[in-house]
Amino acid sequence: MAFRPSQRTLRPKQDADPDLTPIMNLMVVLIPLLLTSAQFIKLGMIEINLPPAISADAMLNMPKETEKKLDLSVTITDEGFYLASSLAVARGRSGQGPTIPKLDTGEYDFAELNKNLYKIKKKATGVFKDVDQVIIVAEPEIEYQTVVSTMDAARAYMSDQEKLPLFPTVSLSATVM
Amino acid sequence: MAFIPTRSKRHITDPGSLKLNLNSMMDMFTIILLFLLKVYSTEGHLVNPSDDLTLPNSTMEKVPEMSLDLAISKDWLILNDKPVMKVNDLLASQQFIIPALQNELLRYANEAEKMQEKYGQRFSGSITIQGDKELPYRALVKVMATCGRSKYPNMRFLVYQNES
Repeated sequence: MAFRPSQRTLRPKQDADPDLTPIMNLMVVLIPLLLTSAQFIKLGMIEINLPPAISADAMLNMPKETEKKLDLSVTITDEGFYLASSLAVARGRSGQGPTIPKLDTGEYDFAELNKNLYKIKKKATGVFKDVDQVIIVAEPEIEYQTVVSTMDAARAYMSDQEKLPLFPTVSLSATVM
Repeated sequence: MAFIPTRSKRHITDPGSLKLNLNSMMDMFTIILLFLLKVYSTEGHLVNPSDDLTLPNSTMEKVPEMSLDLAISKDWLILNDKPVMKVNDLLASQQFIIPALQNELLRYANEAEKMQEKYGQRFSGSITIQGDKELPYRALVKVMATCGRSKYPNMRFLVYQNES
């Protein structure tokens, strides 16, 4: 009969698994905590500053306008955009109708508006004083989203690499009701 | 020669070392944890968008600040969580300045001005406007005109930021 082998040398190898239970506990607590405080939707803010209403006396004492002003305005109608400045109203391609008509799909052509405004900005810089102001006018039934998207198109122009500011100071103007 | 177990012990398997394998679960949790840490912001929500309206999308990157909160939802005009008037009435009214809203705004402005006198808390006249994205422009203009005439000339529109 053979000898029974030594218990010491043939002891089964101990598993080297670390005990993961505390880490699991931590995860179970941390994940709900972070999930509840996570912000999946980012909010933004568009600033529009109106001058506070001033009295007629103050109006009379205001200095007269001497500088050349561009007075650029974008009018949103249900046919498209009209661009106008103190010098001229930009014509549409066919000579009449809106400057930038709606796309065939019925959507507003914000990309084209952006390009046109960039051209105007390039021409106007240095000539006029108010080259960062634009007035947005809209027809009564235009949706809020369209107005906000127009502001976006007027705010900055994305060239190949960089973001160029166009007309960041936006004023809204009322229409004839 | 190896030790041969006795016949009675030959088929015993060891049930004591049965262990759950947590490795893949740990991998998953680590990825989720890292993702959540990345989107976690320390600023938190200063401004909460109201229910019953969808804010418009914009490319604006400015972070919203606390101020008086005016929400124009699909049905109601809500000033600081208190309903002021129905949006339908707003659309139907012929006036440019809305008296109901103006009264409320002036009340808030007066309170804020008192605070300014007593405790030196500056009254900036800023108001956050949350509008539903389908709101017609004429309603927006009326609300803005009323705010402008009621000591709140600094208006901000709350928008969702586009991911681009």
